[in-house]
Amino acid sequence: MAETAVLKKFKVTNEYGIHARPAALLVKAAGKYECDIFIEKDGNKVSCKSIMGLMTIEGYPGSILKVSASGSDAHDAMAEIEELFVNKFYED
Amino acid sequence: MTTITVQDLWDEGAERLSLSIIAGEQHMDRKIPEIAMNRPGLALTGFFQYFANQRIQIFGLAEFTYLKSLSDKEKRQRLEGLFEQQIPGIVITRNRKAPAEILELAERFKVPVMRTSLVTMNFVNECTVLLEKLSAPRERIQGTTMEVMGIGVLLRGDPGIGKSETALSLIERGYSLVSDDVTEIRRTTRGRIVCWANEVTRYHMEIRGLGIIHVPSLFGVASIRRQTELDIVIDLKKPSGDEDRTGVNPENIELMGVEIPCIRLPVRSGRDMANIVEVAALNQKLKELGHDAAKELDDKIINRLTKGRVQHG
Repeated sequence: MAETAVLKKFKVTNEYGIHARPAALLVKAAGKYECDIFIEKDGNKVSCKSIMGLMTIEGYPGSILKVSASGSDAHDAMAEIEELFVNKFYED
Repeated sequence: MTTITVQDLWDEGAERLSLSIIAGEQHMDRKIPEIAMNRPGLALTGFFQYFANQRIQIFGLAEFTYLKSLSDKEKRQRLEGLFEQQIPGIVITRNRKAPAEILELAERFKVPVMRTSLVTMNFVNECTVLLEKLSAPRERIQGTTMEVMGIGVLLRGDPGIGKSETALSLIERGYSLVSDDVTEIRRTTRGRIVCWANEVTRYHMEIRGLGIIHVPSLFGVASIRRQTELDIVIDLKKPSGDEDRTGVNPENIELMGVEIPCIRLPVRSGRDMANIVEVAALNQKLKELGHDAAKELDDKIINRLTKGRVQHG
């Protein structure tokens, strides 16, 4: 299959932003796929497969994060990550 | 609570409590319904409205001095009253000679009588500890127990996942083996779980490809421990992808009604499990001191992020 690259922007809508729990969910989701996934904010780009990285990007509530995935299963990976953002990381 | 008999007390405590049987030897199978001791002084005065007859009765200096003050008739009468209450057994302290009446009544009422060289206070202290140990609920579970820097660690996992190998690496790092593969546990009255090894296989390990080894012979007596209180359970398992990544929400498991923190560690080839178990034990120690690194970092991040909302939003 050809290399695919997907780029999407998401708004952080949960109450506390990207703290440990959402970071863990993102890493777990991303870890299931072969493709490279990065999350970028204000010029800081970290791997979506790194907990420590995600906790340093300061994804405060209301901020916009740019997610890029590249690899054969990039579409599936992006769909799963989108689900997490849309559902506010299943937090109330 | 397990029921225990006078025989159990004798088997476990004869040496430690310097006991000898002086009467009723064939009635040692009498049960001790209430796992405690009683000084029968008040009962000897004839007061039976409240008498802890289900406990082991201790005859110390006070009881003897009081009996001496009675006439022979009274003495016999009072002692008979005591034996009629179906007491489980009698222990005479300070190696005092038992009055003939006690020996005779013991045979008649089928009550074992023992004697100890200890003074009453020391006997009661030692015996309380022993009775508690004897009556504590116990189980046998699958798992290898280590003591790592004072932290009791139970390693569990499917056969062949590497429990013994991990334990061996920990021993090489200077930590101590409590039990390999089969662990006996009991719950103390303080709600802690104590682990130790089966008498027969104690301090032996089976290492695949090597067979059975005797740990203290190879690594010295510092490499073993008789028992340890359990602080953390570590489950070694095949990687599944749903492992905890932050430690913010630690899991607990239940052992004999006691909640114990449990960590699931995925085993991959080339991963130094002993090192990770060592760190897990250290981290548990830190948590017990009130310092939870994962939670503190998370709180710090949440604090920053929500402050950020005010600034940017």
